Amino acid sequence: MTAAPPASPVLAIENYSLDYTLRHGTARVLDGVNLAIGKGEVVGLVGESGSGKSSLAWAIMRHLPRNAVEASGRLSLGGLDLRGLDAKGLQAVRGKRIGMVFQDPSTALNPTLRLGEQVIEVLMRHRGLGRAEARDAAEAALAEVELRNPTALMRRYPHEASGGEKQRVVIATAFATAPELILFDEPTTALDVITGARILELFARLRERTGVAALYISHDLGLVSRVADRVSVLRQGRIVEEGAPEAVFLDPRHDYTRRLVAAVPRPHRRLVDDAAGGDTVLAANGLSVRYGRRRLFRPPPPPATKAVSLEVRAGEILGVVGESGSGKSSLARGLTGLAEFDGGIHATGRRLDHARQMDKAYRRAVQIVFQHPDSSLNPRMRIGDILARPLKLYGGALSDIPALLEQVRLPADYARKYPHQLSGGEKQRVAIARAFAARPSLVICDEITAALDVSVQAQVVELLLALRRQHGTAYLFITHDLNLIRQIAHRIAVMQQGELVDLRDAAAIDAPDAHPYTRALIAASPAPVG
Amino acid sequence: MTDLLRRLLRTPQGAIGSALLVLLALLCLLGPELAPRDPEAIDFLGRFRPPGAQNWLGADQLGRDVLSRLMTGARSTIPLALLATLLGTLAGAVIGTLSAYLGGRWDEAIMRNVDAVMAIPGLLLALLLVSSLGKGSLNATLAIAIAFTPGMARVTRSVALNVRAQDYVKAALARGERASFIVLREMLPNVVGPVVVETTIRVAFAVMLFATLSFLGLGAQPPAPEWGLMVAEARRFVHQAPWIILAPALAIGVTAIAFNLLGDGLRDALNPRDER
Repeated sequence: MTAAPPASPVLAIENYSLDYTLRHGTARVLDGVNLAIGKGEVVGLVGESGSGKSSLAWAIMRHLPRNAVEASGRLSLGGLDLRGLDAKGLQAVRGKRIGMVFQDPSTALNPTLRLGEQVIEVLMRHRGLGRAEARDAAEAALAEVELRNPTALMRRYPHEASGGEKQRVVIATAFATAPELILFDEPTTALDVITGARILELFARLRERTGVAALYISHDLGLVSRVADRVSVLRQGRIVEEGAPEAVFLDPRHDYTRRLVAAVPRPHRRLVDDAAGGDTVLAANGLSVRYGRRRLFRPPPPPATKAVSLEVRAGEILGVVGESGSGKSSLARGLTGLAEFDGGIHATGRRLDHARQMDKAYRRAVQIVFQHPDSSLNPRMRIGDILARPLKLYGGALSDIPALLEQVRLPADYARKYPHQLSGGEKQRVAIARAFAARPSLVICDEITAALDVSVQAQVVELLLALRRQHGTAYLFITHDLNLIRQIAHRIAVMQQGELVDLRDAAAIDAPDAHPYTRALIAASPAPVG
Repeated sequence: MTDLLRRLLRTPQGAIGSALLVLLALLCLLGPELAPRDPEAIDFLGRFRPPGAQNWLGADQLGRDVLSRLMTGARSTIPLALLATLLGTLAGAVIGTLSAYLGGRWDEAIMRNVDAVMAIPGLLLALLLVSSLGKGSLNATLAIAIAFTPGMARVTRSVALNVRAQDYVKAALARGERASFIVLREMLPNVVGPVVVETTIRVAFAVMLFATLSFLGLGAQPPAPEWGLMVAEARRFVHQAPWIILAPALAIGVTAIAFNLLGDGLRDALNPRDER
């Protein structure tokens, strides 16, 4: 591992600048980027959303939107000038000499073609094989990415394969033409923690075997520091820092990198040090959530969660972790009356057996904040109107709105703005302000930081903790990020396939008597370097 | 709003459609005043007079000036078509949004009824309604509005189903909001975009449906200078004096095309992904 740029690089980007023409002038997305990737080297490109990292990937693939203007610079692949290529030249490069692995394998594969066809087609086109030869080669390629029973898998359609299997097929396709360079654009972001970890292990083995050069793009500095030989940090189209991952991570020179590193969650750095209060705010007894009513001629759908029992105490932060589909969001929907449930909920001194029994007192006491701030605020309403609703429903004066905004550290004049004028982090703050306008005793946070950048995530978490100190609110914090939840939760509940498999103090989450699934989750989310 | 207008005018369809509609609006407002002659003045000496200096677009079988009738008739053709469409759209939008909001059995019940009504062709339904309500422009308007409602309900429901799945609707449900608030304030404003586009396209249909009803003798009654009626009356003289039928037919066509172009333009202008 060396920190110095290679002498004869596979990919060389020199002083590359890219503009997008917009209605009101031009916006610079890449500004004088220099990057070189040597043979067999993996370069990590880290940046937050809007930093231009995906634009760089598409510039290398020569697939830029129509309004893109390349201001200056050179892109060369082993001496071949990529910018000078015509359509025919591009065909010879794309997929053959440069492969690409996308973020979401379910959209990267054609849903109407069998998985095998998609690999065979690439092989016939780029390696000039006949159909029978391509079929054998495809099988070999799928075996190479450690897929069990590739022959059977090739006959399946994308919707018949799991996310991890699909991503392996995409990776197999990218590697099958023996390219010189592979671009990875957040290849594990759309996958579950454990599946993502396995994909990373596979990637490490493949690069050892094939010696391919790779550009690994991610927003996750911790992740990149584990897979890359060198790391470049991109901010607003400029590379602000580059070097060996340990150096960038342990001794960041640029202010921005320092902030980025500080924002990465570390499981052993606790942010909450008080104990939770005594009284129970909400208790679920054998709660099983189900969707959809019974329809004519159709059997009722199976419940999304099995009977779950847990209780949240006053001021407590209870973490709920699990993979997607484990039923953790269904739990939130059951508790807020958005889905039907069996079993009982004890809260506000009553027992509820049905969603219809949720009265104003319960709805006020239990508030929810959703994952996507873009969709949880009505785009046609001003922020002031959005915040006015809980005040009107649960009592409160409209004159409280500036105070509510101030509480989440937004200026009071934001009340006149529309949601689309705000950034993702600001929108999430509005959603938090809306929940706190009801003066709740429990706020259910459903993956509320998953759609945010690391540094914004740190700010939102810090804001939640400050609000908790101020109001003594309890949180049911649903997340897939074990490192984050270990920093803030008092207790952690682990869910798997609709079942609560583990519920223990955060400090004892890595104890030897933890559930095997809990241990697998911890193993799949290692602490970042340093 | 001004931003939307600017984006609309930047697309060629939007610009042409808007320009034609401004002309048609002027015709509706000022047509009768600007008309060179009395649209109902009969001139037996000028029967079937070809287009020329005296009658720019010729004269019909009773010697009435075709241009004047066309200009006067705009007022009884376009506003009624627009009114019928707006009524149908409003009813359809509320039904569709409500159906999407209620979901489950209610959705099923409402949509199956809508399907049943949709199974009857629009013109046939309008004919049925007019023949039971009685002839006349207002009844024809109502009939067209009712004929449009199921289609609009389907379009709105499909958009509203997406909106229903948005977290802000869930947030409102979790907050314990009333159904009327969720349907009217949270959902309806967010389905407006596609519905507006659909509406403009349907205005063109309404103009033609109106013309058809009048042509069949069920809408406007002679001697009103309604365009559809003009086509119907001129049909017999098509070999003798084709200009009598061509002028109103072209006017109907241009109106339909203008609304269609506006619809296309609005579809592009309302698409937020096309931000550049």
